[in-house]
Amino acid sequence: MSARFTLVAGGAASGKSEFAERLILESGPLPRQYIATMEIFDQECRARVARHRAMRATKGFSTLECPVNLPGAPVPSGGAVLLECMTNLTANELFSPNGAGSPQAAEDSILAGVDRIMAGCARLVIVTGEVFSGGNRYAGNTDLYLRLLARVNRALAARADEVCEVVCGLPAWYKRENEVFA
Amino acid sequence: MIFVTGPLYSGKRAWAQKILGCSEQELPARAVWDVQELAADAADLPALADKLARYEVVIATEVGAGVVPADPAERAAREAAGRLACLLAARADRVVRVFCGLPLPLKGELPQ
Repeated sequence: MSARFTLVAGGAASGKSEFAERLILESGPLPRQYIATMEIFDQECRARVARHRAMRATKGFSTLECPVNLPGAPVPSGGAVLLECMTNLTANELFSPNGAGSPQAAEDSILAGVDRIMAGCARLVIVTGEVFSGGNRYAGNTDLYLRLLARVNRALAARADEVCEVVCGLPAWYKRENEVFA
Repeated sequence: MIFVTGPLYSGKRAWAQKILGCSEQELPARAVWDVQELAADAADLPALADKLARYEVVIATEVGAGVVPADPAERAAREAAGRLACLLAARADRVVRVFCGLPLPLKGELPQ
């Protein structure tokens, strides 16, 4: 079995989380698993987590915190899985003391984790960030991170049945089930 | 001419190679990329667009969707890059945005 997989990309505050949740809710009465990837550093993180938890509270999700090492995440089989957000997981694997370290090791870990989840669940939605349209004049090793995240995004898009970019809460589809693109 | 745009590292060149059926080594003869970087120093953007449009494929990275840069030179470069992209799109038979390696036609149909 391989899950039906939708990749949901979008900019900051584009409504991508809510849209991704809707896809999971529309997938029927499967057990719902939320994989949270953010490392909690400060009050801003806590506020963001609280907001997202409240959004999910009434929707039957169980939450699994997984800031690094996705292949080690104990994801139950057969359910609907929402993983959010690939921007965090990638940054953690690259920069966190507990992370994989090198870009190649980070990419390998993330994709192995996704493949494992895809093989075990019935429905998979992954949220990722669109952070690539404002130039690349950033300080330090931000460009290393951008290149890695872009590679991960392209690898996920290649695996996905559907790919969309959410703009003000609405999806623009780059790949759709049962449609053939060149 | 096919004008290919899209975010940074989105797979634009790989898609151009696929459409042209050529190798990475053959690509420079048939396509030109990172043209957004040529815009800032161009005295005449329409003339630059005319020149670039002789290639089969012209590729520009979108750079205009961030916050307005504080530095005047960066601001001008970003502005010029956007104007050049519009001029290229106007000259193109097809315009395609590549996102996460996937093409979305913005003008004309996707090449077969």
